[in-house]
Amino acid sequence: MEKIQNKYKVLGNEKLSPKYWRMTFDAPELAAQVKPGQFVHIRTDEDGLQPFFRRPFSVYRARKYVEIFYDVVGPGTKLLSLKKKGDMLDVLGPLGVPFVMPPADAKQIVMIAGGIGIAPMLILSDILKNKKYNLVLIFGGRDRGHVYPMQEFKENGVKVHIATDDGSVGAKGRVSVLFDKIEKDPGKTFIYTCGPNPMMKAVQDFAAQHKIAGQAACEEIMACALGACLGCSIETKHGFKTVCYDGPAFDLDEVKFH
Amino acid sequence: MNISVKIGNVTFKNPVTVASGTFGHAERFYDLEEVKRLGAIVPKTVTFLPQVGNPPVRIFETPSGMINAIGIENPGIDGFIESKLPALKKIGVPLIISILGHNEEQFVSIIEKLNAQTGITAVELNLSCPNLKHKVLVAQDPVATTQLVKKIKSLTKLPIIAKLSPNVTDIAEIAQAAEAGGADAVSLVNTFTAMAIDIKTRKSRIGNFTGGLSGPAIRPIAVYMVQRVAQHVKVPVIGMGGIMTASDALEFLIAGATMVAVGTGNFINPRAPVDVLEGIEDFMKENKISDINEIIGSLKK
Repeated sequence: MEKIQNKYKVLGNEKLSPKYWRMTFDAPELAAQVKPGQFVHIRTDEDGLQPFFRRPFSVYRARKYVEIFYDVVGPGTKLLSLKKKGDMLDVLGPLGVPFVMPPADAKQIVMIAGGIGIAPMLILSDILKNKKYNLVLIFGGRDRGHVYPMQEFKENGVKVHIATDDGSVGAKGRVSVLFDKIEKDPGKTFIYTCGPNPMMKAVQDFAAQHKIAGQAACEEIMACALGACLGCSIETKHGFKTVCYDGPAFDLDEVKFH
Repeated sequence: MNISVKIGNVTFKNPVTVASGTFGHAERFYDLEEVKRLGAIVPKTVTFLPQVGNPPVRIFETPSGMINAIGIENPGIDGFIESKLPALKKIGVPLIISILGHNEEQFVSIIEKLNAQTGITAVELNLSCPNLKHKVLVAQDPVATTQLVKKIKSLTKLPIIAKLSPNVTDIAEIAQAAEAGGADAVSLVNTFTAMAIDIKTRKSRIGNFTGGLSGPAIRPIAVYMVQRVAQHVKVPVIGMGGIMTASDALEFLIAGATMVAVGTGNFINPRAPVDVLEGIEDFMKENKISDINEIIGSLKK
């Protein structure tokens, strides 16, 4: 078995928009193994204990190097944003259950992401781009600061639709204002979603209404990320499940979003 | 160099183990070659019946620590024996099985089921989980502690370790009560009952309302309690509470612990128990110490 705990060198750490950062690190074994929807668990303060927990990040891209995409929201991501090229990071990964691939007869693949929930979608489009699907991204952000060019998606042939709460970029409103871009054909459409729980609940309701299947990538505060502490449990149709070990990818209709 | 230690009639090849509830049931991600090097492992506490655990939110990060209220989510003793124990035995490291009954009958039933198994080295009685809505923990009542330990000892040949709660006025009194009941060792500390509040919602951060605090934040109190208990009982003490590194573990050994357990540290650094073991060996080499017993209880006044 490959070791899951390794030290990797930071190759780049750049701010892509007022809100979002992308970090690249040199992790060839990880890049070769990681699948869309899986994540890494990073120790942001190796010498101290502040913050205490590691921080989990979806893998944004895994080609030659591994990329994560993050938003500075607290002390862990703040420390991460201060890392420089050449710094070494203690990383656990790849972790968790990846997205399942779409059914063979699917035609339209719709990725619906809110804010930082965009993170697992690029690696997904990297995998799906050569498979003759019609790829659509519906992205919702609070305002202009939460939107970035998404050039990599466009290069992957993904049709990008954006909504912002204040209408500063794209349509005005929540992602649901863009649900008319989705072909409501259960036999041909497959959904992937990641974002705040109220958004994923809206996606779940829409999918249920039109009998469209899909997957949701969930997020929860984690301690171990190895399925040991059972701290990141969420409610599902089948009882409590850990996001780190049973997820983060779940069938869209399985999760009980609160 | 001797780093083996004795508890009851069992010799462990080294003094480093893990705290129950922090190592799962030795999940698929652990490097089992490294796990094998530990003195023992303690899987997550097993109850008589399966438990689904407490509703989320189950954990909260605090300064140098965490609050948890998992609620002993586990498959129950039958499920554990069927689905977990075989893989644990295969690792080839001594197993200390942590058990919890909600009453004496359940403890008795669990121990009878474990008696029928092979490959178990010792049993830890979890008398001190703070997250199960018990009004009083067994480990908060010296009479109940003595009675329960005595009952279990009468039913098994396996060495019995009593896991104690720090949520008491005098932990030494409870340790003595466990010793009086025939415990082969005591382990301490379990977590400190704690809470954190979301000031926006004015609600507890934890779904179970209260939880247990662990991690380096509690370490100095745990070191003190281990030191105090070691002064008051003759049986070995297994010390734990916020151990992240070998120097943390050495504090517990010097305070009088015969074994040390890495708990919450596993969540931050899965390699912590092995780092602790290697660090203790390095410390002994550097200080030309040939026997771990020269360290245990060597606190100077």
